[in-house]
Amino acid sequence: MEIFKNRTPQQLTESAKALYTEERQNKKILNGWFLAKEIAANTTEGLALEEEEKAALELEAIIDQLPLEISENAIFAGTQRDAFAASYALINPAFEVETFRGYCDPLEVYDYATPCGDVTAERISAMRKRAADSEYVKDLTAVYRDCSSYTEEVAFFVEQVTGHLIPDFRRAMKEGVSSLLAEIEEKIPTLDEAHAANLKAMARTLKAAIHLAHRYADIAGENAKTAEGSHKTIFQLIEKTLHHVPEYGARTTYEAMQSYLLLWQVMCLEQAPNPFAFSVGNADRLFEPYRAADGLSREEAAALFANFLVFYNVGERSWAISQNVLVSGRDVDGNDLTCPMTYAILDAYYEMNMPQPILSVKLHKNTPAKLYEEMGRFFFTPGCLTPSIFNDDSLFETLRENGYEQADLPDYSVAGCQEPLIMGKDSGNTTNSWLNLAKILELTLTGGKSLITGQAIGPQTQRSALETLQNLKPLFYENLQFFLDKMVQSANGASIALSHLRVPFLSCFMGGLETAVDCRDPKEQGTKYHGSGCLIHGLSVVSDSFVAVEHLLRERPEDAKNLLSALQANFEGYADLLEFLKSCPKYGNNIPEADNEAVELATRVSTAVKNKKNYLGNPFRPDWATPSTHLLYGYWVGATPDGRSSREMLGYGIDPLYGEASNGLGLRTISTMKLPFQLFNGGVASHFGVDPKYFNAEDYAGKGLQFRDRIINPLFFNPMNNNRAPFYLYVNVTTPETLRKVLAEPKKYAPNGVYIMRIHGTFVNFLDLSPAIQQDIIKRLDPMSTCC
Amino acid sequence: MDIRLFQKGFNFSQDGPGNRIVYHLQGCNLACPWCSNPEGLACSGGTTYSVEQLLADAESCRMMFFDGGGVTLTGGEVTMQFAAVSDFLRQLKERGIHTCIETNGLHPRLPELFELVDYLIMDCKHYDPEKHRLITGASNATTFQNIKLAIEAGKHPAVRIPLIGGFNASEEDALGFARLFNEIHLPGNGTLELLTYHEYGKEKYEKCGLPYTMTDEAKISPEMLQRFTAVLHENGIDTIRS
Repeated sequence: MEIFKNRTPQQLTESAKALYTEERQNKKILNGWFLAKEIAANTTEGLALEEEEKAALELEAIIDQLPLEISENAIFAGTQRDAFAASYALINPAFEVETFRGYCDPLEVYDYATPCGDVTAERISAMRKRAADSEYVKDLTAVYRDCSSYTEEVAFFVEQVTGHLIPDFRRAMKEGVSSLLAEIEEKIPTLDEAHAANLKAMARTLKAAIHLAHRYADIAGENAKTAEGSHKTIFQLIEKTLHHVPEYGARTTYEAMQSYLLLWQVMCLEQAPNPFAFSVGNADRLFEPYRAADGLSREEAAALFANFLVFYNVGERSWAISQNVLVSGRDVDGNDLTCPMTYAILDAYYEMNMPQPILSVKLHKNTPAKLYEEMGRFFFTPGCLTPSIFNDDSLFETLRENGYEQADLPDYSVAGCQEPLIMGKDSGNTTNSWLNLAKILELTLTGGKSLITGQAIGPQTQRSALETLQNLKPLFYENLQFFLDKMVQSANGASIALSHLRVPFLSCFMGGLETAVDCRDPKEQGTKYHGSGCLIHGLSVVSDSFVAVEHLLRERPEDAKNLLSALQANFEGYADLLEFLKSCPKYGNNIPEADNEAVELATRVSTAVKNKKNYLGNPFRPDWATPSTHLLYGYWVGATPDGRSSREMLGYGIDPLYGEASNGLGLRTISTMKLPFQLFNGGVASHFGVDPKYFNAEDYAGKGLQFRDRIINPLFFNPMNNNRAPFYLYVNVTTPETLRKVLAEPKKYAPNGVYIMRIHGTFVNFLDLSPAIQQDIIKRLDPMSTCC
Repeated sequence: MDIRLFQKGFNFSQDGPGNRIVYHLQGCNLACPWCSNPEGLACSGGTTYSVEQLLADAESCRMMFFDGGGVTLTGGEVTMQFAAVSDFLRQLKERGIHTCIETNGLHPRLPELFELVDYLIMDCKHYDPEKHRLITGASNATTFQNIKLAIEAGKHPAVRIPLIGGFNASEEDALGFARLFNEIHLPGNGTLELLTYHEYGKEKYEKCGLPYTMTDEAKISPEMLQRFTAVLHENGIDTIRS
């Protein structure tokens, strides 16, 4: 392949590292998204256009007018920097849990435009005002206003879901965008006016992608004139390549990656700002056919992929968060799909060790030992990124039972942290709604009065404390229905508001060419599969509270009437009662009473969520994941009957509250396996903190196998588990002491300023995190639950 | 019958083969000052479970008994609740669950448990019963006898020495242990493991209202361990590491 005539694999990897350093050091101001919004507004403001056409015109203009450049360190042209603002709260050191209010203000992003050069404060302010007049902002603001009494203290939260999809670029890479354009051309005459207009808009955006490639080709050509040595030849290669892809089919691995990145850039620009959590999908399978045809060695393929990965790191903190790359997995017959590209991708990740994009590995019972051996280095190198782990065997069954066709199952991939979606066919609105069971419990206990602010929230009742406790569960589930209905109404409102911002380009890769319908259309389904997500918080806190209340009524009935006062006082003056509540059985220790309560809660809530319909009549998808929101939402929940203090975090995902699973991972694993994973088609999250000292093999490969035998096989592929097995896990293999040392002496333990840890579905630079999130990671590594 | 526990949890291959649920039984007949589980020393306290409850618990853990794992009883001292332990082990065996106990070997009726135990771990803290008595409160002459009987019964005991500086960790001590183990024919008929002193239990003493009397003298340097191991080796005894 041509690029290896100019650079060795090692030199290519060095280029990738230089480009990454350049990005972190020199790209501290992210204003490209602002320019994009301004260009878009200038293009269509005042014109009477259908939304699909408007979106296409705006994207065309953005692509035509945005300033572009190609670094001397780049081997691929393109960036997604201009689609992102530096606004993701959790990787902002100034972030404080106390001030978090979610992302309710669609104009807040303008706070993150930085006055600089000719982007003046006045210009930013003017653009904010223009944006405020848009139908999208007006409708979304109305949605938030109408549900504010429920969202202010997070009984639930809703959001418009941008990003969070998995485009299928395979055909465009192989045949070129020109092939898609030809299909559209052929199809338009057969359609009614509205659908034909949709396809015309899609065609405009595909042509815009070709235009972007040509603009970059011109820049590369210009750069080549003044560059020297291998830089010159690389620029010449980029120029030549971009005159071919993505317009025509990729002929080499290098062209395939370049094509992919250009398409990705357009997709993100279409959704600027902050199209978080798009997923690359099953990356090894995407690129393996090209690698095999080129006959690239593992080292060569890894070097190319290292450069591919740098593209996903935006600005000084890798602001494009939660973009997921998946490898390995199985087909419908259970055959393993690991390929040489899988190992090349792992090599690239290990070599680069960057905060983004996220790596996930799909496992199944026939996953080769070699893959576990190769993963050992990730888990057992301090400060190294670690992959999320998925169980294909279990997830295939869960997805199949929830309406997915067998043939589509191997193409499931993960948008965001852990939400399974079928690549190119599934619009899941994954983070559309967020349900806080712990707050609903609080409001049930108090008859609708917040323990945090005293505000009246939701249904107001006047029962005695004892009556409430004696009927706690029925009252809770009654309240749950009330809040679910409100949440669904608001969540659908947010999705409909977002539908003003159509995405014709993305739709081309989400089934839009077949349906001629935008994947955000609020009235007609543009994708084969469709749903809306509901992230559910508070499993362990609520189920443990139910158990504690039952024990209290049974064993200390004389104290029951004092429970509400104790909660209001955050247990001050009620030390004895607190001790009793804390001593009650807790989920996560293989205690049948506590675990059964958690199973019942998970079953009833999942079912209630699935029974709710989104704006297209499709079910909501229960997702028991809490991407750091267990911390943020816990802050708005008063003391709970399980003995948890006011404003303390909730349990992460399906995990026990930290400190409560005090008998180690073995018992936690058994408790976890009792949950109804077949109902969790929206996803699920669980974290194991693992102490490395329990893995004593001599090398990383051996430790990787020990990790399989002691963690993965018992949890995922346990032959004695008759229930649906868990299908997601992330781990941090370290100890609280180690992390405290890293914080105390970052220069010693992370000389390059990067120490990668996982916070939920994503990994991040531990040193970039806000102190509250750093402490969350440390707390959830508590030593009593990190032993094997 | 009831069994009192002060702790339970899983552990991999450290207290018997494979992945095991480890039940820590309340109460001990020794008072070793380095004990990492001081909360298990007192004969009162702990949480009471019926044998049936523990059987159900062990059954519920079965899916985690991978790599030849099963149930391990440790302490405290297991044999302090002899009758219930015997009953529990018998019923575990009947259910095909792999059994292991870790004991200080002092109980004169210990051999009665041999047939109920698949893997037998026996602590031997000193080769001199009198020195043992001075520090732990009881002679361990019975332990030697029971190790010997376990060997004769073909139990292939896993003997463990907690190596404590100033108590049993000198080269002279190594020689003493070597003589003892050769006398009872441990080499080839059982294994020997050295567990170096650690302070994992130190914080618990304060919580239990007990003084922690160990000093830095107890710590074992790599050189001390190396010399100790070398003397054993020179005398025909190899050590293992679990």
